[in-house]
Amino acid sequence: MSEENSTEPNLDYQGGRPAVREAHDAVRREKPDPVADSSNKVLISRVVVAGVILVAASLYFNAYSNTFDRSDEFIHPGYVAAPRPSLGGGPVEEKPWIETWMADGKKVYNSCTGCHQASGMGTPGLFPPLKGSEWVNGGTERLSMIVLNGVTGPIEVAGASYNNPGMTPWGKLLSDEKLAQVLTYIRRNFGEMPDGKSGVVTTAMMKVARERHGDRATQWTVAEMESVSADAELPGEEVDLNTGESAGGSVEGAESAESPESE
Amino acid sequence: MSETMQEASVQDVQERSVIDRSVRYPVLFFFTAAAGWLFLATLLGFASSLKLAAPELWDACPWLGYGRLFPAHMDALIYGWGMQAGFGVMIWLMARLCRVEVKNATTLIVAGNVWNVAVLVGVLSVWGGYGTSMPWIYFPAFLWPALFLSYSVISGTLLMMFKRRRGGEAYVSQKYIFGAALWFPWIYATANLILHHTGGSAVMDAGVNAWFMNNLIYFWFIPVGLSSAYYIIPKIVGRPIYSYQLAQVGFWALAVLAGWTGFNRFLGGPFPSWMPAIGGAASILILIPVAAVAVNFLGTMAGRTSLMHYSPSLRFTVFGGIMFNLYGVFIALSSYFDVSRYLQFSYATVGFDILIIYGFFSMVIFGAIYFIVPRITECEWPSGKLIRFHFWYTSYGIITIIVFMIAAGLAQGGAINDWSGDFMDSVRRGNGYVVALAIAWALISMANLAFYYQLLLMFFGWGRKTEGPTLIHKKPGEAMSAEAAAGFAKEETA
Repeated sequence: MSEENSTEPNLDYQGGRPAVREAHDAVRREKPDPVADSSNKVLISRVVVAGVILVAASLYFNAYSNTFDRSDEFIHPGYVAAPRPSLGGGPVEEKPWIETWMADGKKVYNSCTGCHQASGMGTPGLFPPLKGSEWVNGGTERLSMIVLNGVTGPIEVAGASYNNPGMTPWGKLLSDEKLAQVLTYIRRNFGEMPDGKSGVVTTAMMKVARERHGDRATQWTVAEMESVSADAELPGEEVDLNTGESAGGSVEGAESAESPESE
Repeated sequence: MSETMQEASVQDVQERSVIDRSVRYPVLFFFTAAAGWLFLATLLGFASSLKLAAPELWDACPWLGYGRLFPAHMDALIYGWGMQAGFGVMIWLMARLCRVEVKNATTLIVAGNVWNVAVLVGVLSVWGGYGTSMPWIYFPAFLWPALFLSYSVISGTLLMMFKRRRGGEAYVSQKYIFGAALWFPWIYATANLILHHTGGSAVMDAGVNAWFMNNLIYFWFIPVGLSSAYYIIPKIVGRPIYSYQLAQVGFWALAVLAGWTGFNRFLGGPFPSWMPAIGGAASILILIPVAAVAVNFLGTMAGRTSLMHYSPSLRFTVFGGIMFNLYGVFIALSSYFDVSRYLQFSYATVGFDILIIYGFFSMVIFGAIYFIVPRITECEWPSGKLIRFHFWYTSYGIITIIVFMIAAGLAQGGAINDWSGDFMDSVRRGNGYVVALAIAWALISMANLAFYYQLLLMFFGWGRKTEGPTLIHKKPGEAMSAEAAAGFAKEETA
């Protein structure tokens, strides 16, 4: 092709168009442009392949389209929004409220295990146990006071005496909900609830506790706490363990119990 | 059908020269501006993936937050680079194939300037925190009419060229360009009108947005990319398309099917289930045009694959063709619940988008640019070594992105479906893979720096002035005599 160009005679001027000699090498060396080709032949193999794809698409549409159903049923029939079985999934069941509440409480309790241990047995001689503790088994008000503000000085728990620098006041660090969850957890898990008592502390109860004792600057001593009766309960509604909603009855609250702070 | 095409006649050569000169300035303008945007877009991609990998990085600076970097990156990539480089290729191809000169080069350059200013304002707005948070429509609402207008001028020019065309039946590349010229205004106006002005239901808006994204791919990036590939491959191989009939089937199938896709981005989502189902079915049917392209490219290339060793245009284009087929298969597969439940809403979606926009479209466009620019600037690419560098760094980068994003998607997908699990858990599962994304964008940025540098040299006319094409590898004969080598190269490579 290049040879052809170089021997082409007198192409210097053709109707105002540039001569081939002026055309850049890139243009001269290139091959002709591809053109449309209108030959028509039908290859059976191609028709078959296209047919297979067509069938696949219609099977797909049949399976997923829910046949143009315009009702409120948005999700196609076979689809279940559940985790894979390998992730421990199965049919979706609603968990009872108390299980979630306890599970959350257990998470909060992770902050307590350093001293009281995951078993709730404490560390003999240093940190009192929660299991068998009269403070846990007793009323909720004293228990909430301990958790909110901490305790210092000598304390008698389950027949042994402890004298440690003091328990952390958690009131400033945790919300009412988390405190209620952890109290429920330790009462139901480590405590011994009398028959008919669920041991549940609700967020509303914890709110009352915080109103009464929350703004205390220092930790309690045992003597100070004795102004609240050992079996005083925080006032609040009893809850249905399945739904977490009010069950109608109410916990007999020590409405008249006066806060030691108000003295 | 003859085995090889006829040699070009003297008249052909003259005609080409005249056409190339008439489109020189607008095409060069679009390519150079696009390459600048590309470099910026890949840098933004690098920065945003770095931010994903190390979220505490640059915490004090809101301009460097992921929420701004990623949208700016995507929009710069799509509107700054992709569409603009596409305009250049469309104009040149349309002029060449219709065998007509461009008469309104100045109008095209003005339209191109409007486009660039709009994209600049858009990217800066997104970067400054005024983006819309709607994928690929991140630009603030007031900008779309400017882009729409500018596009209309460009597409009008293309349609006028098509009307004035000489020669017989339109070639398939012309049809794709004709289609893309008309489809984009339709989808862009529809999406913007609904999303910015008349939309109401937030759920439906998300669907419209997904429809726009898919259609931008199927009605714009794919037609423009294929129009270039259907030109470059037979041109360089020097053979007609293996089966022109298949090429036409591919075109019409895509034209009919593409508009139905989109809602399949939300399989099992809060839509009447036939909507995602119809998108999924269309995605499966699009395997027909995909297969047509695969058969055609393979058939045309058969026995001449060694040319890829030398010709930059062919190598980039073939790489893009492979990525196109990969994309078609991935999308068809992920139309199934059992696949998409692991990939949907995960990094895999990002991987697929990059696969088609970068792996297919951009690579094919690079191929076209390597072909076109020497013809319009009348000098040759300065360095084959830099082209090689560009190819390898880009292809490694893209393959890394695809492999790691799909792996990240698989790692995330299971966790997202676990309703009792923490959402952040699924995010964390993808964390390790994001490092690869950052590395890949760094590689691609380096490659694009080389590309931009060469293109700027060409832009200023500082390319190589000696004869013979710039090839990725030297032909074996080249050591003997430059003259003979040039002749040999001309025989086989454009």
